[in-house]
Amino acid sequence: MLDAFIQGLLLVLQWKAFVFMLAGIFVGFWVGLLPGLGGATTLALMLPFIYNMQPVEAFAFLLGMHSVVATTGDITSILFGVPGEATTAAIILDGHAMAKRGEAGRALGAALASSFVGALIGAAALALAIPIVRPLVLTFGSPELFMLAIVGLAFIASLSAQGARGMVRGFLAGGLGLFLAMVGQDPQAGVARYTLDTLYLWQGLDLVPVLVGLFAIPEIIDLVVRGTSIAGNAPAGRISKGVFEGVKDVFRNWWLTVRCGLIGTFIGLTPGLGGAVAQWMAYGHATQSARTAEERKGFGQGDVRGVIGPGAACNSKEGGALIPTIAFGVPGGASMAILLGGFFLLGLVPGPDMLTKHLPVTFSLVWTIVIANIITVVACFLLLNRLTALTNVQGHLLVPVVLVLVFIGSYTSNSSYADILVSLIFGALGYFMVVAGWPRATLVLGLVLGKIAENYLYISVARYDFAWLGRPVVVVLLIIAVGVILFPAVQAWRSRRAHG
Amino acid sequence: MANRTSLGLAIVIMLLSAHGIYSAHEWPLKAKLFPLVIAIPLFFLAAAEALWVIFGKSPTASASDFKLSEDQPAEVARRRTLLATGWAIGFFVLILLLGFPIAVAAMVFAYLTVQGKEGWIFSVVFTAAVWFFFYGLFELLLHMHFPDGWLFGGFGGF
Repeated sequence: MLDAFIQGLLLVLQWKAFVFMLAGIFVGFWVGLLPGLGGATTLALMLPFIYNMQPVEAFAFLLGMHSVVATTGDITSILFGVPGEATTAAIILDGHAMAKRGEAGRALGAALASSFVGALIGAAALALAIPIVRPLVLTFGSPELFMLAIVGLAFIASLSAQGARGMVRGFLAGGLGLFLAMVGQDPQAGVARYTLDTLYLWQGLDLVPVLVGLFAIPEIIDLVVRGTSIAGNAPAGRISKGVFEGVKDVFRNWWLTVRCGLIGTFIGLTPGLGGAVAQWMAYGHATQSARTAEERKGFGQGDVRGVIGPGAACNSKEGGALIPTIAFGVPGGASMAILLGGFFLLGLVPGPDMLTKHLPVTFSLVWTIVIANIITVVACFLLLNRLTALTNVQGHLLVPVVLVLVFIGSYTSNSSYADILVSLIFGALGYFMVVAGWPRATLVLGLVLGKIAENYLYISVARYDFAWLGRPVVVVLLIIAVGVILFPAVQAWRSRRAHG
Repeated sequence: MANRTSLGLAIVIMLLSAHGIYSAHEWPLKAKLFPLVIAIPLFFLAAAEALWVIFGKSPTASASDFKLSEDQPAEVARRRTLLATGWAIGFFVLILLLGFPIAVAAMVFAYLTVQGKEGWIFSVVFTAAVWFFFYGLFELLLHMHFPDGWLFGGFGGF
């Protein structure tokens, strides 16, 4: 085992594999920065290039690219409030709020450091899980996966809970997200649901235009209203100064970082949930680390823990997602499904062979994640001063550029003008939600989880009738969901009692 | 403002979920199970929120989300919000009519000169930089297809 581990490292450090990894990192760096251009799409675009490569070179290239996309996606999310990736939207809530306060450097420092720690946790989980993963993944059937989706929603709805009314709004937004997830052709009976008789809506609402509209348009409007730069009147020198403060924040909140990294790994490991869920679950957990209701109010206004949580989860999920992909040939999400295609193109069959005959190649994947993240984080730190300076550029120069990126980002999802229309509609919805004090995060999670939850619920009922409700893991997850919902109420009660 | 917007959102959700329940009525059980499970509680939650706004006396709850800045007077904020909305919608209309490549250049240039009050030379240089970035990355490198605008090549793109 140790031999294979070291051999994996040596394979990645071969000059050809290393150069391909650098090329992958370069592509991934820019893909992550640009809104709309997703990691999965780029993986698919790059797949034809690997035909003539050796397996280690091909995976160094593909995985090197894929594992840095989320890291640089965080940069766009924090600096401009536009999700660089669908998986980096949660970090906007507090990261961009910090950038507007003139603390872009600190937010980026925290995001990069937590991303790095998250990537290490994911890679370590992948290395450690190889021998023990089989029984763990097989414990989770459709009923457990459905309950996991419910726990995710409960997490996010509860983070919006400042009093009963906040909770109602959280569930309303989550319910709206679940409702919108039903738009499109129903997977069981093939009925076109809520498609307004348009072909575009048959495949459902695409996540990218929805996210871009929901988060970017209100920020653009706010930038125009303020008439200043993103960082407002914060002194230019201060903006990039807090970088190491951000890194220290990660160590100050070390256990939160580790826990969120583990959440990301677990969500990545669970087939079908994906990175868009991991970040919100981690954000929900980060808000629950607030000890008082007062402290919780700071989330969304620029609490660094709201940056650390999603940052760690976003990168750790990659290592987790590789586990079922390699061990069973069951991809954890769209990107892993494409990577699985890469395995077949290279003549590798995921499964027991990857854990025995090709073990050094498997460990080379672990090392690729680690080394790619080290290189990216170092490169980002070197560029940080220039990047944070962008928050001091006057709004009237940024608005047209961001608007162009937003519209192109939306358009690239399906190459349809309807994508832009969807972005505008969700932009308006996002703006009104912000005005009314409704949480947007819950809506997004509902939208992400809707289809997954429906599928698993249907399979559970069809396979087990209602007996699935009595399965032990389902009961445990149900108790966790109830606990998560009641937690803010208990916390408020304890706080009231403490204050007499 | 927040309460009125919240009431508006709640009413829209009530209408949406009512439509959802009514439409699901005709579908087979497989297709209508989940919509009904979601839309019925959603309707009642939205009704509860609407009643809370109308009759409730508790202060507005705030979400863990970003807040719009309140530095500007309400009237200025409203005017600028409408202006930003106008630019976004105007850009979309330009894309439909002229296609992406021309619309990008036209919008960036117009925004800089009209909204930003920048000089002609700076606006031309800045617009050219943005356009070449757009063209180089999306057209030349990624070979993305941007249909011609409706004024030039029919009604593609939808």
